[in-house]
Amino acid sequence: MLFRILKNSFLKRPKSVFLVFLSIAMGAAVATAFLGIAGEVSHKMALELRSYGANILLEPSAVEGGGFLREEDLPNIKTVFWKYNITGFTPYLFGVAEFSAGDKKERGVVSGTWFNKELAVPGEETTVQGIKVIAPWWDVQGDWPAAADEAIVGAALARRLKIGVGSEVATTARGRTQRFRVSGIVTTGGYEEEQLFAPLVTVQELLQQQGKVSRVLVSALTVPMDDFGKKDPATMSKDEYEKWYCTAYVTAVAKNVEEVMAGSRAKPIWQIASAEGALLNKLNSVMLFLTILALGASATAVSTSLMASMAERSPEIALMKAVGADRFQISAIFIGETLIISVAGGVVGYLLGDQLAEIISRTVFNSTISSPLWLFPTAIISAFVVAIAGSVAPLRRALLVEPVRVLKG
Amino acid sequence: MAPAIIETNGLTRSYGDICALKPLDLQVPEGEWLSVMGHSGSGKSTFMNLVGGLDRPTAGSLKVGGEDLLMLSEDGLARFRREFVGIIFQQHHLVPYLTAVENVMLAQYFHSVPDEAEARSALERVGLGHRLKNRPGELSGGEQQRVCIARAIINSPKLLLGDEPTGNLDHKSTVMVMELLKELRAEERFTVIMVTHNQEVATWGDRTIYLDDGVLVREERMRS
Ligand SMILES: Nc1ncnc2c1ncn2[C@@H]1O[C@H](COP(=O)(O)OP(=O)(O)OP(=O)(O)O)[C@@H](O)[C@H]1O
Ligand SMILES: [Mg+2]
Repeated sequence: MLFRILKNSFLKRPKSVFLVFLSIAMGAAVATAFLGIAGEVSHKMALELRSYGANILLEPSAVEGGGFLREEDLPNIKTVFWKYNITGFTPYLFGVAEFSAGDKKERGVVSGTWFNKELAVPGEETTVQGIKVIAPWWDVQGDWPAAADEAIVGAALARRLKIGVGSEVATTARGRTQRFRVSGIVTTGGYEEEQLFAPLVTVQELLQQQGKVSRVLVSALTVPMDDFGKKDPATMSKDEYEKWYCTAYVTAVAKNVEEVMAGSRAKPIWQIASAEGALLNKLNSVMLFLTILALGASATAVSTSLMASMAERSPEIALMKAVGADRFQISAIFIGETLIISVAGGVVGYLLGDQLAEIISRTVFNSTISSPLWLFPTAIISAFVVAIAGSVAPLRRALLVEPVRVLKG
Repeated sequence: MAPAIIETNGLTRSYGDICALKPLDLQVPEGEWLSVMGHSGSGKSTFMNLVGGLDRPTAGSLKVGGEDLLMLSEDGLARFRREFVGIIFQQHHLVPYLTAVENVMLAQYFHSVPDEAEARSALERVGLGHRLKNRPGELSGGEQQRVCIARAIINSPKLLLGDEPTGNLDHKSTVMVMELLKELRAEERFTVIMVTHNQEVATWGDRTIYLDDGVLVREERMRS
């Protein structure tokens, strides 16, 4: 009977049923879309943030190694346990040199590095590594070095030497001189503007440090530090250590990289790592907050349209009460109606939201996402929550209907 | 005389300053057909709604079928209405989107369990066996009123209340409805209280009371 009442009452008022359905579907769609991309957004934001700087610094340990790391160890970085979390790295070899161009002379730092080097590691996919990968914000006027005798010069240094793209700089160190053609001028906003960057091999030869590097900057995706992550691995039990090692804390990844670079010490660059974690947490809170707001808005819409149809339905409610329906029976009818609409709204909202998430992901992040399994129940539950929250006020009003007043005879 | 099914003592209902029903002492014996007359605004509906458990008195006592209505909660009154009372209004007051048989089943649903066969036979008894699947909008006034009667008697009430049930009907339909009620009462032996403006309708009853400005001014027994 309840079913007959509901069916006929739906057929009788398709417009207001549709309005309620629409409000619920919208709420569920927004919740689905937001929650669906929230995980994706964090991941993508982490990637984007990652591009604003390396977060692990590898240096020669004071004890062993004699002040340098070995270039031949670098490919190992792409074979470690956390290799898929490592988005890029680049080696540096520093030396003090005398630059001269025209009648200008100046002592400064020459830096040998990779710009965008194709790195083939046996058994792994070939990747591109270098400054272009880990520091995409470097603003190079002109071109990146393409030949062994090309270099890019920091903007401040270039200004003082009065050189530009196409100029030549003679660089002298340890009695040897290498002439570089300036392929580009680089602006970074940092200390890099004081240096000259040239291909690693060339600088190794100039400094007579074949096969050596002074430091490596590594960019890795990490999870925000928590209390467990801050524990000293040395004091952990075996199980704890395993768990710690298998969580992508910046310290765990650093330790992992350190193990494959002979004579190295890895240090997390804390400032960036913790700022990132905090930012991602904030971002997630914002998404959650927006989701709750959207659900609140659609509950309000549900409430409004139910309220409106309640005015029209008060004779019917009065009549039901007059023939003996108690509050429970009246509530069952109204809650039954909204729950049925909310199931339909939840399903449609889920389908819409899934598409929406896909579109957002494609337009904003240029990638596709796969929606997690828990999203469907989440959509249905949010539809229920919206329906129940939106029914409270209308139901109260329905229960307050006085048959005598409405059924004046 | 049969025991009283309705017993009021100083029953009063006022709306602010307006006293719609002044203290009323009345006994209605079980099985009686009581007609209530009086000009418009004299308190007939007020009295009816109190007896039917649709409204609460402001003073006095009211016992219906041994139940003290003043002691009942809102849900208790709802239970009283569905188990004890059948009500027929002047305007037909059917649920517009339900068919005739569904409207009858609605009362069964609130009372216990809907039984379509029983609802159908109730409609057959009021002569509407051929209009079971029609919605109220497709029925004439007299037919709608007969659906209301079928609904009112479906749960075998002890008390049948009619607030001008024939007020909107022509003479022929009025006679038809009254005959029907008379037949049903003979079978089911319920007590009837019927508000009416129509002197002729009042004569179908055993006794008529006259209200004026909320006061019972006169009562008249019909010859049997
Ligand atoms: N809800 C209310 N608020 C205030 N006054 C009311 C209310 N309901 C009824 N009254 C007043 O109570 C008095 C009795 O009303 P009631 O409806 O009982 O009259 P009635 O005899 O049924 O009249 P009618 O024959 O026109 O139906 C009237 O004066 C009416 O104005
Ligand atoms: Mg009246």
